[in-house]
Amino acid sequence: MNNKLKVYRAMHNLTQEQLAEKIEVTRQTVIAIESDKYLPSLGLAFKIAEFFKVKIEDIFSHKENLNEN
Amino acid sequence: MNRRKYQQFRIIVMFFIFIIVILSITLNSYLLAITGVSTGLIFITLVRSKAKIKIDEREITVREKAAQMTYTIFTPTIGIGAFLILLFASGKLPTAKNEFHYLESLGVIFAYLTLFLIVLYAISYYFLSRKYGGGSDEQ
Repeated sequence: MNNKLKVYRAMHNLTQEQLAEKIEVTRQTVIAIESDKYLPSLGLAFKIAEFFKVKIEDIFSHKENLNEN
Repeated sequence: MNRRKYQQFRIIVMFFIFIIVILSITLNSYLLAITGVSTGLIFITLVRSKAKIKIDEREITVREKAAQMTYTIFTPTIGIGAFLILLFASGKLPTAKNEFHYLESLGVIFAYLTLFLIVLYAISYYFLSRKYGGGSDEQ
C-alpha cells in the first residue's frame, strides 16, 4: 500500500500539524501515514479523501507484489 | 494545553509520584504512598479531561499491540514460573526445602494469577467478539 498524502498536503500548502488538526488525529499519525509506517483505517482514509475533495483511490493505492509470498 | 505541554506535565507528575513512593519506602509509610499515587493519578486525569487530549486510531492500535504483547509474554512467564516454584517447593528438586517457607504460597499465587489472566482474556475475547459481530448465525 502506498499513498500520495504528502503530495496532496503540499498541494494544499498545509503543514503536518495543520492537516492533523483538520482530520482530527495527532501529527505523529500523519507522519506515520506519509512514511507508509501506518495504514489508516477505512474511516480515516475516507476522511482524508473528503478533506482533499478527491476519491479515496486518488490518495491511496494498493500495489500488490506478485513475487512476494 | 496542547499535547506536548500535556506530556511535559505528565513527566513532572510521574517524577513527583516517583519521589513520593521513594520517600514512603524510606519512611515506611503506606499511607503516604497511597495518597501520593492517587493524588498524582487524579491530577493527571483532571488535566487530561480539561486539555481534551485526543487519542487517535494509531495510538489505539499501538496500545492494542502493546497489550497483546504484554499478555503473550507475561502469562506464559508467570505460568512457567509458578510451575518451577511449586516444583522447587515440593522438594522434588535437590534443594533445601525448609529454607524457603514462603515458596509454596508464592507458587500458588502465581498459578492462580495465570489462571485469572487466561479467564479474563477468554471473557474479554467472548464479549468483544460478540460486540464486533462474531458468533452470530444471521445471514
